[in-house]
Amino acid sequence: MDQRDKDAIREIVGQEHFSDELIDLVSYSYDSSDHDHRPDCAAYPADSEQISRIMQLANERGFAVVPRGAGTSLAGSAVPINGGVVLDMVRMNRILDIRIPDRQVVVQPGVVYADLQKALAPLGFCFPPDPASGKVCTLGGNVATNAGGIRGAKYGVTRDYVLALEVVLPDGRIMHTGTKCMKSASGLDLTRMFVGSEGVLGVITEITLKINPMPTASRTALASFETLRQAGQAVTDIMHSGILPSVLEIMEENTIRVLRENYGADLPDVAALLLVETDGYTDAEAEYGMQKVVAAFDANQAKTVSQAKDRAEAEKLWAIRRAAGSVAGGLRPNNLSEDVTVPISKVPDLLEGIQKLMEGHKYPFVIFGHAGDGNLHPKIMFDGSDPEQVKEVHQIAEQMFKLTCGLGGTLTGEHGIGLAKAPYMRLEHEEMAMEMMRLLKRTLDPNNVLNPGKMALDD
Amino acid sequence: MTSEKHPLLEKFTEQIQHCTRCGFCQAHCPVFGATGRPALNARGKMLLLKEVLAGKIDLNQELVDSLFQCTTCASCATNCPSGVDVPAIIKAARKEMVGLGTCHPAFTGMNQVLDDYDNIYAEDEPEDFDRERGGKAEVVYFIGCVGQYREEDATEAALDLLDHLEVDYTLIDEVCCSGVLEDVGFSIKPALAEKNIERILATGAKTLVTGCPYCYRTFNGKEIYAPLREAGLEILHFSQFLARQDLGVSTDLKVTYHDPCDLGRHCGIYEEPRKTIKALAPNFVEMPSNHANALCCGAGGGVRGAYAKNSLAMARKRLAEVEEVGAEILLTECNSCVHNLANAKLRAQKFQVMTTAQFIMELLED
Repeated sequence: MDQRDKDAIREIVGQEHFSDELIDLVSYSYDSSDHDHRPDCAAYPADSEQISRIMQLANERGFAVVPRGAGTSLAGSAVPINGGVVLDMVRMNRILDIRIPDRQVVVQPGVVYADLQKALAPLGFCFPPDPASGKVCTLGGNVATNAGGIRGAKYGVTRDYVLALEVVLPDGRIMHTGTKCMKSASGLDLTRMFVGSEGVLGVITEITLKINPMPTASRTALASFETLRQAGQAVTDIMHSGILPSVLEIMEENTIRVLRENYGADLPDVAALLLVETDGYTDAEAEYGMQKVVAAFDANQAKTVSQAKDRAEAEKLWAIRRAAGSVAGGLRPNNLSEDVTVPISKVPDLLEGIQKLMEGHKYPFVIFGHAGDGNLHPKIMFDGSDPEQVKEVHQIAEQMFKLTCGLGGTLTGEHGIGLAKAPYMRLEHEEMAMEMMRLLKRTLDPNNVLNPGKMALDD
Repeated sequence: MTSEKHPLLEKFTEQIQHCTRCGFCQAHCPVFGATGRPALNARGKMLLLKEVLAGKIDLNQELVDSLFQCTTCASCATNCPSGVDVPAIIKAARKEMVGLGTCHPAFTGMNQVLDDYDNIYAEDEPEDFDRERGGKAEVVYFIGCVGQYREEDATEAALDLLDHLEVDYTLIDEVCCSGVLEDVGFSIKPALAEKNIERILATGAKTLVTGCPYCYRTFNGKEIYAPLREAGLEILHFSQFLARQDLGVSTDLKVTYHDPCDLGRHCGIYEEPRKTIKALAPNFVEMPSNHANALCCGAGGGVRGAYAKNSLAMARKRLAEVEEVGAEILLTECNSCVHNLANAKLRAQKFQVMTTAQFIMELLED
C-alpha cells in the first residue's frame, strides 16, 4: 500500500475517520490471539457505501482489507497478516429495529453484544447465544465467527439465529441474503455461507437476528465426582433424561486444584465437577429439569451435590466456573487456549486423552468447558519468551488436534480457525472440502483482497 | 526481556506480560467509551508497552497521545481478569518517558507552573473566603487547588457548613499538594510539600480534613507527606467528616450520587457519602454504574487539561446516566468532578450538579 492508496481511503471516509498513526497501527496489529502483524492504516467507515468503495479500490490497487469488530478473536481472524487497511466497524453501531411481533431485531455489525441484550431485556427478550466476551464483542464479530457460549447446550449458536444479512462482497457489490421470515426454503442458503466465514467472503454490514423470550426461572447445582467416568456417565444420563439443561459445564482435576490453590475455592479433591443450570418460563419447569439432573448425579455416585437456594448462591457457584480461566492464566506469562470439540459422548475420552498428553510435561494446565455440547477448553500455561517452550506447546497442540479429530471431533467449536488453527485444517477436512472452500473464496474474491491469509485458504 | 533500557518500566514487565489481550477492558475504559479508539484503551496501552519492551518500537513522542491520555480511573484494573494494574504501569511509563525528554506539553507545563507558582493554575490571588488562615484549631481544612481557584462556590458552601456545625477549624496558606505530578511523569515538589507540612502542623490540629479526594490520597499515601501521619494527625476526606455529623435537614428531591474515582475505586470510600446523602434525601437513586463500577467523569489524570474534548465527552456519558434514572440533583464529593460534569452538562439537562455541602447549605437556607 502506498501514500496514494491511503489518500484515496482518507478521501472516502474523511480525514477524522482515517488513521496511520503508530499508536493505532499497533492496536490494530493484534486481537486476543498470539498472532500479530502491522496494518498500513485504519479506517472507520460509516456505511456500506464507503466500504463498497474501499473494496473496489482494494481490487484496483491490490491492498488487503481486514474488517474488525472488538478485536477479541482468539484465533487471529482479525490480525492483518498481509498488512493493508483495517476496517474498524465501531461507527456502524446502531440497533436499527426491534420487531417483537416478528420476533426479530435488526442491528449494525458494530453493536456490542451486551448493549443488544440491554435493549432487549426490558421487553422480556434476549439473543440466546452468550459468548464469554459479551461485554465487549460485537454482533458483526459474533456472526463472522459463529460465536457460541455457555448456553449453547440448550440454545445453540449464532448461526441458528441469523435470518438475513447485508454484505459487501470483496468486489464491492452490496448483497442482501436471507429473509424477514422466520423460515424459508427459497434458493441456496447464502446467509449460512457468510456466518462463520471470519470476514474472508464479505464484510457484514447489517444483521437480522431471531430473538427469544427470556426464561424467567432457573436452578443451579454443582456436583463433584471421584472419577471422570462417573461424571461422563452423569452427562450421558442427563442427555437421556428427557430434558435439556441450559448449561452443563465440566471442570477436571487440574482445574479444581488450581481453583483450590489459587482462588481459595472450597472444593473437594476430586476428578471432576459438573456445574448445571436448568431454566424455563416457569419455576416448575426449571425445578422439574433440575430434579432430573440431580437424579443423574445420584445415579452416578456424586460425592457432593450443592443446589443453590437462590440467585445469590447460584452466583457463588458461577463465580468458581468463571474464575477458572483467568486464575489459570495468571500462572505463567502466556497460555495456549483451545476449544476442541467432540461428540458429547466422547467428552470423557477427550479429557483423559489430553490429561495423558500432558503427562511428563512440566506445564500447568486446566481443562474445563461445555460438556453439554462437547466443547472443551484446554488451557496450557507457559513462558512465551522461551522459544523451546513455544515449540513444545505447539507440538502438544498438534497432538491434541489429532486426538480430537480421531474421536470424530472438530478443531474448534466456537473460536474459529483464523491463523491459529490454519495449519491443522487437513486433520479435520478432506481434500475435496478444502478445495471447495478455496473455490468459494476464489470465486468471490479472485484478487484475494479480503482478509487474506486465513483458514488455510491461500495455500 | 530486561534490557535495562527502561528500568522504571521494566519493573512492571511481569504485569505487562500478564495482559492476555482479552480486550475486556473495552467495556470499562471511559476514554475508549468516548472515542471508540482501541489505541486509547487499556489493552492498546499495554500493547504499546509490550512492543517497547520487546524492542519493536521506541518509547517516544509518537506514543504520547495514548500513554498520556488516561484518567487513571482504574476501571480497567478493577475488572481485569488477569489482575493487571494498568494505572501503575502507565504512571511508570510516563516517568520513563519524561526521563527521556518526552511528555505531553500540558504536563510539562504543569510541572513548570508548580516550580514558579504554588498552585496548578498559575494564579496569584487565592480567594480568601473571609476566613482566617494559619490560626490554631482542632481541625485544619485543606481546600485544594480546584476548590481554591475554580470551584469557589463549592468551597464557600463547605466552609459555611463547617461554621454551621460549629467546628473549630482553620484554613492555612495552602500550596498545591502537587500529588498529581506523580501521575503524569513528574514528582511531588519537595518545596511545596514542606510548606504544607509546616503550615498544617503549625495549627496544632488533630484532624486534617481535605476538600479534595486527590489531596486526601496524597496526604494519606505519599512518602513525602509521612510527617503528617507520623505526627498522629487523623487525615479525612470531607465526606468522611460529614458522615459523622447530624445534619437535621431533608428533602423529597430525587437525588443521585457520582462516585469520584479518587474517593471510590482508589480509596474504597463509597458508603460515607451515601450515609450523609441518604439521611438528607430518602428519595435517593443509584445510577446504573455505581460504586466500584462508577463511570469516570473524564477529568482525572490530567486529561481535562490535555485532552479537553474527550474529557467532556466522557463527562457527557456520565451525565446521560443521571438522565436515565431521572434524578433532579447530582451530588458528588470531588471539585474536579463537579467542574467537569457541570461544564459538560447540556442546557436541556434540567438536573443540577453540586457537592453535598452545597446541597446541604441550600436545604439549610430554605
